[in-house]
Amino acid sequence: MSEVLLEVKNLKKHFVPHLTLAQTLAGGKKRVIKAVDGVSFSIMKGEIFGLIGESGSGKTTTGKLIMKLIEPTSGTITFDGEDVTFTNKAKTQEYRRKVQMIFQDPYASMNPRFKIRDVLLEPLIIHKMHGNRAEQIERVLKALTEVKLTPPEEFLVRYPHMLSGGQRQRTATARTLILNPKMLVADEPVSMIDLSTRAEILHMMKEVQRDLGLTYLYITHDLSTARYFTDRIAVMYLGRIVEMGPADEIIDNPIHPYTQALIAAVPEPQAGKVDIIKKLPISGEIPSPANIPSGCRFHTRCPYATEACANNPEPELMDAGNGHFHACARWKEIPKAQ
Amino acid sequence: MENLLEVKNLRLYYHTSKGAVKALDDVSFSLKEGETLGLVGESGCGKTTTGVALLKMPSPPGRIEKGSQIIIDGTDIVPLSDKEIRKNIRWEKISMVFQGAMNCLTPVYTIGRQMLETLNEHRMMEEKQAVELIKEYLGHVGLPPEVMNRYPHELSGGMKQRVVIASALFLKPRLVILDEPTTALDVIVQAQIINLLKELKKTFNLSFIFITHDLALEAEVSDRICVMYAGKIAELGTNAQIYGKEPLHPYTQKLLQATPLLHKKVDTLAFIPGTPPDLINPPTGCRFNPRCHCTMEKCFTEEPPLIEVEPGHQVACWRCVK
Amino acid sequence: MSQFMEFWNEFKRDKSGLVGLGILILCILLVVFEPLIIPYKEAGTKWRSIEYWQDNSQSAPPVWTNLFTKTKQAASADLRDFSKTVDADGNTIYQFHYNYQYDLAPYDLIIRAVGTGTIPLTVSVMRPDKQVIELFSTSLYNLSENEPIRISILNSSRDSALSFVREFESEENFGNIQTMSAGVTEIIFSEAKPGFVQNQIPLKGNYIFEIKVSQPIAEEGQEIPKVYFEEPHISVVGRVSGLLGTDNSKRDIFSGIIAGLKWALLIGFFTSIISVFVGVIYGIITAYFGGKVDSAMMFFWDYFISLPVLPILIVAAAIFKPSIWTLVGVLIVFSWAGSVKTVRSIALQIKEETFVEAARALGASHGRIIFRHMAPILIPYSFASMALAVPGAIIYESTVSLLGLGDTTVVTWGQILNDAYQGQAMLTGLWWWIIPPGLAIAIIGMTFAFLGFALDRILHPKLQTR
Repeated sequence: MSEVLLEVKNLKKHFVPHLTLAQTLAGGKKRVIKAVDGVSFSIMKGEIFGLIGESGSGKTTTGKLIMKLIEPTSGTITFDGEDVTFTNKAKTQEYRRKVQMIFQDPYASMNPRFKIRDVLLEPLIIHKMHGNRAEQIERVLKALTEVKLTPPEEFLVRYPHMLSGGQRQRTATARTLILNPKMLVADEPVSMIDLSTRAEILHMMKEVQRDLGLTYLYITHDLSTARYFTDRIAVMYLGRIVEMGPADEIIDNPIHPYTQALIAAVPEPQAGKVDIIKKLPISGEIPSPANIPSGCRFHTRCPYATEACANNPEPELMDAGNGHFHACARWKEIPKAQ
Repeated sequence: MENLLEVKNLRLYYHTSKGAVKALDDVSFSLKEGETLGLVGESGCGKTTTGVALLKMPSPPGRIEKGSQIIIDGTDIVPLSDKEIRKNIRWEKISMVFQGAMNCLTPVYTIGRQMLETLNEHRMMEEKQAVELIKEYLGHVGLPPEVMNRYPHELSGGMKQRVVIASALFLKPRLVILDEPTTALDVIVQAQIINLLKELKKTFNLSFIFITHDLALEAEVSDRICVMYAGKIAELGTNAQIYGKEPLHPYTQKLLQATPLLHKKVDTLAFIPGTPPDLINPPTGCRFNPRCHCTMEKCFTEEPPLIEVEPGHQVACWRCVK
Repeated sequence: MSQFMEFWNEFKRDKSGLVGLGILILCILLVVFEPLIIPYKEAGTKWRSIEYWQDNSQSAPPVWTNLFTKTKQAASADLRDFSKTVDADGNTIYQFHYNYQYDLAPYDLIIRAVGTGTIPLTVSVMRPDKQVIELFSTSLYNLSENEPIRISILNSSRDSALSFVREFESEENFGNIQTMSAGVTEIIFSEAKPGFVQNQIPLKGNYIFEIKVSQPIAEEGQEIPKVYFEEPHISVVGRVSGLLGTDNSKRDIFSGIIAGLKWALLIGFFTSIISVFVGVIYGIITAYFGGKVDSAMMFFWDYFISLPVLPILIVAAAIFKPSIWTLVGVLIVFSWAGSVKTVRSIALQIKEETFVEAARALGASHGRIIFRHMAPILIPYSFASMALAVPGAIIYESTVSLLGLGDTTVVTWGQILNDAYQGQAMLTGLWWWIIPPGLAIAIIGMTFAFLGFALDRILHPKLQTR
């Protein structure tokens, strides 16, 4: 568990929206939306790595960059020791076979006009694997069994809308497993699933990971499932990682004020909290990525911010020991969260 | 404290070509003034249907069946005509924040214009007066009065949700039904909105019915919790009875065990196998029996009644019948 | 095979689909058995031949209108059954039986045959009251080989008819009649008694028309010339005609509709399918690739859709011989652009769907995403626009025919409608000239729509709109 599988270095994705005619005539300048603004991390083989953030934090864009669904503005992505940031068609195809994605809404990720059979055959047809159709069907049945959709034959002829939420996510997982990938990128895989089956899906994904020796990048806004599911966590804020480290460490001893605020805001199923108005260390909402504050990008909302935080160059990730990294210049002065 | 709302034997069926979908079957509960009642359960268990039924606006082909009673402030609203409901009950006594309402604001009108429209639906008022009232309520939900001149796309999700909450409070209702008011919001914004709701409740002496699928959130909001399953109440108890010690109904137990905890590392979470039943032909006996881990013979033959096991704690499970 | 049965079992449950299929099969049968069905076999090829239609009645309503009127009008008919006898003098006698059961006499009776050489001819009729009128007696001289013979009783028998009247009418009455335009056929088919011309009472019963071809008298020293007289028949020019009446050029509309069916199917099928297919693919490609490709393709499209169609059509007609195929080609070239904008906007939405992204994440090629993922979603739209394009194409064809650019060797529904418009059928109340082609166009359009929607329902059971 020490070999690096995926390494991302200083990854950036800046979107430049086109100006409308009226805006151009009014002399408007092009805005740059910095969705991902210098992200670096590495994922070990066999690890479950969680990428946590609110909406607008750039976590989904990071996922898409790693999936090579969009091209980065700058930075590098190294997979299995090979630079895959910009690759030719054949290399990209090979990469896509090794890195698969599970989407937030399993239903939306399947063509509603495809039967489960076609959904699962698609990757095999695209990558021309497992020879003829009969052998491919064999593989499909095996994948369905792997995700515990039994008897598999029964599911082949169904349409996605005939399945329950849990079965759909299992199918979506089966589709990614069919190519024997090395890594799965899961973008909010359980946020659309009912609580009663959410644990079942996470459990299934964990089992598959263990059985097949997979590596996961788990993208979510939900700290509670992240703690349950992941080994390491990176917390993103406005396109940058503000804190990164082992899941338990981050949640039990958060250093960055943003992480502390996130953790404080999470509700817990405990009695006797009804009459308490929660103390929230930060107020307001996440600023627009088109207008990122200077200095430390969190200083506008940070309760501990000083003038230096706004003026000094942005702090890079610092090691606080035990593999716990953070990006807060004043970390020694900030009180520990309770 | 008086009972503000009393629901007795509420039945709401959707009459389809395949038969009656028993979306709500014999639901009874009451709500005291100033209290928050939480409705929890999986999707399709009847949480939202209950909320909509209280406003007497079930979506067709749904119908509130005979024998149901919804008593608000001493009047049964089930026999009232639509006109009377519109005039005296809806938004006057009960209002509702619908799920996803914040995404249903019209993109082409300003917030002020849309709020004015809601207001004019119910009250004839001088424009000036109305604008003042809107500004006042925007203040109550923590928004500056300039928001009136903004368009929905210029506001963040949290601000839009505040606008929707303000619109629900205009006419000084006694009871506000909140259907998943924070589901689409980020966790920090969610905490902000929950704090706001708690403050508003005190300021206006409101009662809430808080509908959500998130048991953890419910623990922070509701005085009493009503766990619903397949159109029926499975368990109803105070916050302490549900969260303080082990709840009694196996469904509630499993739901709680399935909720991942932030401050506690567990190796495996519990889950409930299977899916909620078809409400046209629900299983005989206890409706939860196909998914229950501790069934007895009786569970398959007879439907368990909702019985009070201790003061204020009702459970519908044969295991709890002594 | 089992797959087909499965499909069929599904299809059977769709009522409108079955109706569509039924009509389509009926249409195909009509096309296949066209020669057996239409009364005028060469209607398709001789639609614009004046001679071919000259024996018909002009602007006659359909035969079945008699069911709704009190006075039954004589229907058009072609008497072809005859008995042939040769009398002692060597004259050949052809006898035709005509059972007359109407209240209003036909406009005319036309004797037709083919003959060669010189033919002395006498035509008479024996009425049910045993009165015999010798209609006319004439000699046809020096006919070239198998020259068609056509003698209209209306024109040739006026004198004999009048002399027949004279037998019954007083001198005084007769003087009045002469100046009146008493029809020859009305005299023939009325009861003969004084004053009958003014107050015609139809004489119903069996009439026997007799054509006598006399043996010519040999000139001295020469052989008796052989008389060649074949295929005699009598056309009754009725007041009502055929299943769907006739137009003002005496053409049988029913024959025209049936003969036009194949062209309607052909124009409809080819233009709608090809143009919608091209339009849909074009729209998807421009939406899918976006950016520069989109700009370039939409520029080309803008250019194309703003081209004036008519001048180009006229030039095309001048360069190419106007034929139905050129027309279909031109229609395709100009109608594919119609669906592009809508398809593009739908495709822009589909492109953002997660399943397209999922396919890309799996490494699917552009072609696969376009043809396997995006195009099928557009099938309902395609079927709908195909169904709508069918009547459009048919109407377009008729517009083109109006400019003289249509294919004059065939008959199409558009041309029939166009002729009706030209012939002011609306103003003169010739509804049977307008409604049938209009209805036929509508039915064909509906058939395609029914079939399209049924197919879509079966192939894609639940269209979830998200």
